[in-house]
Amino acid sequence: MPAPVLELRGVRVNGRQQPRLDRIDLSVQPGERIALLGPSGAGKSTLLAVANGLQAMDQGQVLWSGEPIAKGARLRRRQQRRIGTLWQELRLIDELSVQQNLNCGRLAQWGWPRALLNLLLPLETEACSAALRQLDLDPSLLNQSVADLSGGQRQRVAIARLLRQDPVLWLADEPLSSLDPRLAQDLLALLLQQTEAPRALVMSLHRPDLLAGFSRVVGLREGRILFDVPANALKDEALQRLYAGTPAP
Amino acid sequence: MKVSAPLQVLVPAAVILPLAVVLPGLCHGGGWELIGAFAAGALQPSLDPIVLASLFRGLGVTVGVALVGWALSLLLGLVLGLASSRLVWTTLLGGAWPAELLRRVLALPRSVHELIWGLLLLQVLGLQPAVAVLAIVIPYGALVARVISDQLDALPDQPLQALLAAGSNGPAALISAIAPPLLPGVISYGGYRLECALRSATLLGVFGLGGLGNELLLTLQSLEFRELWSGLWLLLAVMLGLESLIRGLRQRWGMANRFGRSQAGVGRRGQEITLLALALVPLLIAIARSLGIDPAALLQWQALPPMDLDHWREALALPWGRMISNTLGLTLLAACLAVGGAPLLLLLVAPWRLGQLLLRLVWALGRLWPPPLTALLLLFVFKPGIWTAALALGFHNLGILGRLLLEGAESCSDGPETALRGQGVGPRVALLYGRFSGLARSYLAYGAYRSDVILRETVVVGLMAGTGLGSQLQESLSSFAWDQIALLLVVYASLTLVGEDLSDRARRRLL
Repeated sequence: MPAPVLELRGVRVNGRQQPRLDRIDLSVQPGERIALLGPSGAGKSTLLAVANGLQAMDQGQVLWSGEPIAKGARLRRRQQRRIGTLWQELRLIDELSVQQNLNCGRLAQWGWPRALLNLLLPLETEACSAALRQLDLDPSLLNQSVADLSGGQRQRVAIARLLRQDPVLWLADEPLSSLDPRLAQDLLALLLQQTEAPRALVMSLHRPDLLAGFSRVVGLREGRILFDVPANALKDEALQRLYAGTPAP
Repeated sequence: MKVSAPLQVLVPAAVILPLAVVLPGLCHGGGWELIGAFAAGALQPSLDPIVLASLFRGLGVTVGVALVGWALSLLLGLVLGLASSRLVWTTLLGGAWPAELLRRVLALPRSVHELIWGLLLLQVLGLQPAVAVLAIVIPYGALVARVISDQLDALPDQPLQALLAAGSNGPAALISAIAPPLLPGVISYGGYRLECALRSATLLGVFGLGGLGNELLLTLQSLEFRELWSGLWLLLAVMLGLESLIRGLRQRWGMANRFGRSQAGVGRRGQEITLLALALVPLLIAIARSLGIDPAALLQWQALPPMDLDHWREALALPWGRMISNTLGLTLLAACLAVGGAPLLLLLVAPWRLGQLLLRLVWALGRLWPPPLTALLLLFVFKPGIWTAALALGFHNLGILGRLLLEGAESCSDGPETALRGQGVGPRVALLYGRFSGLARSYLAYGAYRSDVILRETVVVGLMAGTGLGSQLQESLSSFAWDQIALLLVVYASLTLVGEDLSDRARRRLL
């Protein structure tokens, strides 16, 4: 059996008054698509930040493809190349062209000279075109500024950037929350389509009605895992317990 | 091929390549042991009570001159700013011609550096404490006036029109409609001018107008580096204290920094600001008295020597072409070193926290260390000329632009940079792509403004490093050749006005 793409063991992150994450154990196998549910402030974004190495832990261990997070910065960066994150606000660079943004997915692999050259003469046009085509975008967009794109196009460019990065573990931090229902469905379908084995997806979301394509659902409340069940075994009572005393999701 | 935003901030740093070629040829062979002794002095400043007492006295004079000069220039700038606003005159008279006229008149005092004002006033009024204050008030007042009138004229006029349409009289409508949106910007800019006033007061001291600058020059000339560093560390402490006080007040009052991105409520804490302003008045009067400023003494002018035709012919025969090209070349080199150097250095130290701290310290020293003293220090090892002057001026402005860059980096979103770091991109590339992209335009716009200031400052290093108009001005001042001085000032003022216009155009394109 292959090593889990991501494993969290007894992770704790302290907060001001109570822990933001407490005794989190989570294992993600290749091919799994995990939905992370929970009310605001439950710790979903913190869990994803721990998973991609941006948030330091106070206790516990994170394993990426069976390896603990390296202590040295250089090695850790090498490990992080295998992890891609789709952010809610996308974090594209508005001042750069679509092609330069797509190539941001390759920056960790490139040395300084290529990174600088890409700012002068955008590189790897063929691979960027292919990534756009994969997401039903016209390659003629490559030279456009990202700031000129529509909301839907920006979402797809952000996913295409992940395709250029080609990570094994895809993390998505509430990418659907500010989208209209139709756009949210389209984006989710795209993400599920791109994250077949050996890739894996962990996505935080607020919408229990969008769980159809996920293999597992993890409920998080007050920094703790309340349930971790196959998506088809999720009961309404579990959701009610998860959101009890909070505004309806 | 298009140079993308993050790369644009680095392009000026290409000046380092010719510098690296030229620099070895500039060394005159000796002086490195002096530079070594100077550097070693940083760690062993003199703690001799006599030296410290003298430095503290000098510091008191410098801070006093800066505070009084700053306050008067703000007051003058506010009055002249209102008087040169098109909006004000159009509302009161229906025509803007008085504003246009006054703007043109104010261009002259603004275009001449405070040091030149200081040296000219010294000739006319003799050595007295008010000379340094006046030298700050004249150009600063004109600068503040321009900023205020520009801000006023850029305000949306609908609120004013609404009040006028509702029957308010002109002055009342003006005060109600323009004061609330104008004040936060003016106060924020006023804080920045106070930092500048402290630097100017130090610089004026270097040229004999009293205060700590004079002490620094004397210790440098007598190679007493430990004493020099005592003064420098004192000045650094005051400067950093002042900067953090101004930053703290800006945040507390919810006012924009110079990148203009962090503004909160307008007119917040109005009472607090008014009380502070009122408390400053008696303090400033007491400071002016302790400095020995006597307004009556300003009326006693010394007669200038007569100017005859032969002298004008001599003045016209000066090597104007070479002096002007040297001045422009010096501006370009220093501006490139400062504008491109700051982001380049920030990128180089990005992986190391200690390196970042050291860089902040060096930039802080660059800001407060008057460029003529840097030029003197560089002359220990390099021959005088345009490159040495550019290094001195570039180092000073690098300190100012470096802090601006850090302010800009803090005020723009860290999202893209964090995203890149999270996917394993190194700190330098993440900073370049993720942070510099967002701040490139506003940074370069400030760089354009700074280039215009650098052009004005060329005369200051030129006095020491023997290049450009400044070098000739020193000679003309020492020989009381007023015809030459007058011509030099006309040329210098014309150059700075053209530079100001060009930098305005560049800024308008960038923002």
